[in-house]
Amino acid sequence: MIRPLTRSPRPSPWALGLAVALGVGAALPAVAAPLDEPLKPLPPVPLLDAATVELGRQLFNEKRLSVNDSLSCASCHQLATGGGDDKPFSLGFDGKPVKLNTPTVFNASLNFKQFWDGRVDTLEAQIEQVVISPVEMGSDWKTVVDNLTAMPQYQAAFSQVYPDGVTAANVQNALATYERTLLTPNSRFDQYLLGNTDILTIEEKYGYQRFKEYGCIACHQGMNIGGNMFQKFGVMDDYFKGRTPAETDLGRYLVTHDEEDRNVFKVPSLRNVAVTAPYFHNASAKTLEEAVDVMFRFQLGRVPSAEDKDQIIKFLKTLTGQWAGKPL
Amino acid sequence: MRLSRHYVIQLLLGTATLLLASILVFLYIKSSTDQTSRYTESRDLIRQMQQLNAQWDSEVLKARIALTHNYDPLVTPLTQITRIWEELRQHESYHAPKDLPGWQASLDAGQAAIQDKARLVDQFKSHNAVLRNSLAFLPTAENDIQAAFTRLDDEQRLPLQSVATDTYDLLLSSMEFAQVASDDRAAEILLGLNLLAVNKERLPADFHLPVEILSNHVALILREQPLVNTLLERIAAVPVAERLDELTTHLNQDQQAADLIDQKYHNYLLVFSTLLVALLLYLAIRLLRSFTVINRVNRALHTANASLEQRVEKRTRQLRDAQSELLDSARQAGMAEIATNVLHNVGNVLNSVNISADLVARKLRTSKALGLGKAMQLINEHPDDLGTYLREDEKGKLLPGYLNQLVEAIAVEQQGLTDELAQLSKSVDHIKDIVSTQQSYAGVSSVLEPLQVSALMDDALRMNSGALNRHHVTVVKEYADVPQIMADKHRLLLIMVNLISNAKYAMSNLTDRPRQITLSIQTVEDNILQISVKDEGEGIPAENMTRIFTHGFTTRKEGHGFGLHSCALAAIEMNGRLTAYSDGPGKGALFTLQIPLNDAAGPA
Ligand code: HEC
Ligand code: HEC
Repeated sequence: MIRPLTRSPRPSPWALGLAVALGVGAALPAVAAPLDEPLKPLPPVPLLDAATVELGRQLFNEKRLSVNDSLSCASCHQLATGGGDDKPFSLGFDGKPVKLNTPTVFNASLNFKQFWDGRVDTLEAQIEQVVISPVEMGSDWKTVVDNLTAMPQYQAAFSQVYPDGVTAANVQNALATYERTLLTPNSRFDQYLLGNTDILTIEEKYGYQRFKEYGCIACHQGMNIGGNMFQKFGVMDDYFKGRTPAETDLGRYLVTHDEEDRNVFKVPSLRNVAVTAPYFHNASAKTLEEAVDVMFRFQLGRVPSAEDKDQIIKFLKTLTGQWAGKPL
Repeated sequence: MRLSRHYVIQLLLGTATLLLASILVFLYIKSSTDQTSRYTESRDLIRQMQQLNAQWDSEVLKARIALTHNYDPLVTPLTQITRIWEELRQHESYHAPKDLPGWQASLDAGQAAIQDKARLVDQFKSHNAVLRNSLAFLPTAENDIQAAFTRLDDEQRLPLQSVATDTYDLLLSSMEFAQVASDDRAAEILLGLNLLAVNKERLPADFHLPVEILSNHVALILREQPLVNTLLERIAAVPVAERLDELTTHLNQDQQAADLIDQKYHNYLLVFSTLLVALLLYLAIRLLRSFTVINRVNRALHTANASLEQRVEKRTRQLRDAQSELLDSARQAGMAEIATNVLHNVGNVLNSVNISADLVARKLRTSKALGLGKAMQLINEHPDDLGTYLREDEKGKLLPGYLNQLVEAIAVEQQGLTDELAQLSKSVDHIKDIVSTQQSYAGVSSVLEPLQVSALMDDALRMNSGALNRHHVTVVKEYADVPQIMADKHRLLLIMVNLISNAKYAMSNLTDRPRQITLSIQTVEDNILQISVKDEGEGIPAENMTRIFTHGFTTRKEGHGFGLHSCALAAIEMNGRLTAYSDGPGKGALFTLQIPLNDAAGPA
């Protein structure tokens, strides 16, 4: 095992066998079988109860979830523009900027944990926290439930979906249900993965190749191209050296207080990364180029050629999917 | 008393039935709560988790040997295990009470193991990813250095040949270290790294970066490989599978226990049902028995009934005979009473007749007509010189005057006789009336005729006048002005005569005070005629008050006691009533008759 040097996107024998068994290859020679890659296409948008989803949508845009009726989820997670905030730091209910860059809610349901430091496992728990977070919405659940109960349209909508009407758990469930529908399928790269290999340009294909070769896939892989593990920010070098230290830079250490977890963050999904600038938990990278540079230096410890980097960025741009039928 | 006993028995029966029924239901539910499926489901969940756990392990291994670069499969087992775990926690299967904490502890231990493993797997993912990355990159990094060497001319290359070999050795030992991370190799690598750092200084500038990159990655491998190995060991050591096995064992034990309990309740149910069946059988036999008893009793009752009927018939006949006998005697008695009444009343009137006849006889005996005979004797003595005798003779001169007086006296006498005779014939009429009245008792309805009550009262008085005179009774009349009425004259008269005669008798022993009868006639409330007779006689003692109107009652020795009874009857026949009142013995009595006032001139 001395030189296992090159890895090529070659379907595994198992996948080939399956394709043959299904007769796909024989019957439909024009449509290639899905590629077996470390990156996976998005699963289909789950079919969830329409009334619950609609209720979740209304709640997502409901400013009364915040203590002073100033913010809805949509204020920070702007769905039309990538599901995050274009500002480096969103403004909380009190007008003060929050301490972390707002991640996108798109495909968040596919992340193995929520938040930069992955402190909660489920969307429900995430919502539970953001509403009472003293920097984000600043409210409390009793107030939220009371406020919603006072609004007849919510009373009706809740009692239609939940036997026990407006409760904190039901608000969280409705919101989470809505968030589970917030997937962005049909990115050009997903179409490529699904077998439409012509959809990517040769440069983008090279870009993907480089992405794999340089080892970006060590951390950014799977169906969400990230979002399934924790990693130290600064594997190969100290990223935070010479920067003003911020508490939030401690990352997962804040949750576990384990030295091992210092500066460890959830690897973010790279889906729609082209439209979610600025980057990183502290919004320290304004552009994708900057972010990729940082990744090369601190996560990979390698120096790419300008061409490779360019191609990788081109590839990253093929990860932008569609939402509500429109490209993001 | 009997009723409440009945009630208590019913209550007891009801309670007993209810008790039996609830025991049956209880046992049935207890024995039919078939836990088997729950245990099977729980075990199935655990089995699924075992599978997922195994899958998780194999994915870890795959990632470790870089067979896969997709870490999603290291996440999904946990997600699914978490979901199934939640399901298992909500699954309610029976656990022996003393074992419940044990089950809880097993669950908690299982959950802790899963969490431990999840944390370790997360760490493994992080470390393994970068380790694999560097390992994969290592040959390329070394290639880059070798490429730089090839770019050198031979002259430059020769002195650095050892550096190239050292670098290659470092690569090799790093790769080997990835296979067997022994301390010796680690030391060897560390040595190689230091050597490389020293060598670097001897190399031209464009070697610096590739060398630095290579040594960085080798350093990473040196750091991460033991970490990954330890993590793998620790992951393997996390007793998730054991904990899950324990849960299964626990479930098996609990199922056995539950089965035992189930079996126990089944047995109870069996025994209880047998008891119930026996009870039912017993009750059925009792029922059949009581049917025979009922039949027997029924038959006996039938016979008894028949004889009873016969007896009743006989008794009825006897009764009927007795009744007719009674009726006969009653009829006879009635006749006797009527006869007595008639006799009594006739007796009363005959008294008056007697008195009148006596009076007439006495008047006739002392009649002035006898004087007429003497005068005629004187005249007959002087047949020739009657004129002279009447004119000159002393005696003869008085004779005309005497005759004149005699004529007057005879006229008065005659008048008295005529009156007395009229009274006599009235009495005779009364007797006739009494007789016809008695006939009216036999069905002839009473004859109503216009009557002047005061006149009728006077008639009654007159009928008693002789006796009243003889007994020196003063009669006080208090007659109010009452209209002529329509009434039965004879009944009224009968009552009046009787009352007056009774009053008179009541005072016959009276010596200390004047004997006085007060007769009053008046109307009460415009529609009642009230006639009362009051005496000052011996009075009626309270104990006799209720008896005086009964048949045959009398206080008189002579036995004329039927009067008041027939009077009361007569009063009732006139739709009226007769009442008596007395303040007590020696205080006199008051008899009052009240009859409806039928105005003879009235609208009727
Ligand atoms: C004040 C701005 C703001 C508002 C309002 C807000 N969020 Fe966020 N959201 C953030 C920030 C900042 C983070 C990252 C925080 C962290 O990681 O600790 C975040 C994280 C999240 C995440 C986790 C994404 C991931 O990949 O980890 C989800 C999901 C999310 N928000 C959903 C919501 C929902 C739903 C609401 C409405 C109830 C909401 N947010 C309201 C700013 C906001
Ligand atoms: C060792 C793991 C690792 C490797 C390898 C890695 N990344 Fe990352 N990447 C991360 C982590 C961790 C973050 C989040 C850092 C932070 O924001 O604190 C991140 C963030 C990013 C972001 C910013 C995402 C955002 O929304 O903020 C981009 C873009 C990115 N990586 C691209 C790449 C590319 C391109 C490569 C390969 C050249 C790569 N990464 C290799 C771990 C890695």
